[in-house]
Amino acid sequence: MSGQPRPTDPAVPVVELRHFSKWYGDVVAVADLSFDLRPGVTGLLGPNGAGKTTTLKAICGLLHPSQGEVLLFGRQIHQDTMLYRAIGVVPDGDRLYPRLTIRSYVRLHAELQGLADAGAAAERAIAEVDLLPLAERRLKGLSKGERQRTKVAGAIVHQPALLILDEPLTGMDPGQRARFIELVRLIGEAGVTVLVSSHILAEVERLASQILVLVGGRLAASGDYHAIRDLMADQPRTVMVRAEDARRLAPGLIALPTTVSVEVDGDGLRARTRSVEAFATALPRLARDQGAGLREVRTTDESLEQVFRYLVSRR
Amino acid sequence: MRPFLVLLRFSLGQLLAGRRLLVVLLLVAVPLVLPAVFVRGSDLDPATFSLDLFRQLVLPVLLPVVTLVFSTSALGAELRDGTVTNLLLKPIPRPAILGAKYLAAVLAALLVLLPTEAVGHIVAAGGLGSTDLLAATLLATVVGTLAYCALGVLLSLLFARALLVGLAYALLWEGAVVGVAPSASSLSIRGYTEGVLAALLSGGVDLTTRLGPVSATVLAATVTLAVLAVAARRLQRMDIR
Repeated sequence: MSGQPRPTDPAVPVVELRHFSKWYGDVVAVADLSFDLRPGVTGLLGPNGAGKTTTLKAICGLLHPSQGEVLLFGRQIHQDTMLYRAIGVVPDGDRLYPRLTIRSYVRLHAELQGLADAGAAAERAIAEVDLLPLAERRLKGLSKGERQRTKVAGAIVHQPALLILDEPLTGMDPGQRARFIELVRLIGEAGVTVLVSSHILAEVERLASQILVLVGGRLAASGDYHAIRDLMADQPRTVMVRAEDARRLAPGLIALPTTVSVEVDGDGLRARTRSVEAFATALPRLARDQGAGLREVRTTDESLEQVFRYLVSRR
Repeated sequence: MRPFLVLLRFSLGQLLAGRRLLVVLLLVAVPLVLPAVFVRGSDLDPATFSLDLFRQLVLPVLLPVVTLVFSTSALGAELRDGTVTNLLLKPIPRPAILGAKYLAAVLAALLVLLPTEAVGHIVAAGGLGSTDLLAATLLATVVGTLAYCALGVLLSLLFARALLVGLAYALLWEGAVVGVAPSASSLSIRGYTEGVLAALLSGGVDLTTRLGPVSATVLAATVTLAVLAVAARRLQRMDIR
């Protein structure tokens, strides 16, 4: 991909946020966010309401910072509209023109970018997202996944140097997801700076090696995906146990070095452990030794939000 | 094609898409052309009839309604649907986006108003009739359209129900308030349009208006440009959430 402009100085980040904050009345959406992006795929991870969309919209110039600044290629986008020649954006939600066909929609994007051969660029972009056989279909008749891919075609038609994707996998089936993830990887490997948001950890793992974790409008963690995943893995997890006499299991469980706490509640107990694996290995032996027949063992649903909260509490 | 022209063509296509053009054309043509058919069998002077029809139907009702319908939806519909991001994330300055949307609304409104007015005039006169009168009403329509469309585009950036606000202005302010407080004509697009019509017909027809020809023309141009400037500034500073 070869959109214009690109940074002439490699030391200049493609995207740079300096103490960016955004608030609406009394509600703070994003607070004091600073990071920079360079070529490659970066994942923006966070639960719903964490400020991901606000951050992406500020980067692409749809929102003005309440405080701080957002720079693209070292410049402020509000003062240089031509920077949009280098930016492709797949916004959240269904922001398409239902009467248009896939071909006319993508061509419209190419023409609005001022491309010399808009028709050829549109065909290439439609082919990249595997929609050529459907190119004459109207957007209102497409599935969610097809509409999502149409938006991607519109965003990459001018071969941008910076591609911003807000929850791009929403509505795609597993096959489409796999192809799309491969496409994003290829774009990243071609030297494009890609920022892709998601609230699903597994999605980000497959898309990006570098991640930014947003929680409550603040940057909770940033860096290599594996390092952050390990940090997340340290979080104590809760295991619910129901047994014939659960109380007799408590002393043995609390003696495990990885157990954080045990609470007995009627015929069950709730244990918090740093290693579910160690807990699962020790529990059957303890139950046999104590004659406490196990009825049910399950981990509670550790939502991503809880993991993020844990990360924030460790900062 | 330059992005501005692409956007203008696309926006015009959106405004006239589907049956909207046909429906609006019929809504305007019926009250303009039908009475003209009946005037041919009466003793009425066709020129007087055409002028009265313009002053009593086009100016107070058809002109504001048609122009506000198109101008409030040109940008307003895109803001409501969120599709405006498709346009704002392009290397086109926001004032140019506003300009293209404004021009599309003007062209769509004129495409409806000018032919129907001309047909009504020709049917009433049984031919071209007074070409001075025809030219004056058409030119006055252009002036009114330019001003109302500027207002409609600005309202769509300020209010979710911009069309209602615009119609309230046209019917309540221009229709009622100006009637009891003539000095309010200085803030009335209808007043400007009537004044411009009087200027164009000077000498030909005796037309009493609240605003003089010069002040009406100057006010029409000034207010249109000022409203567009405010709208451009508003769009420039707008957050798209």
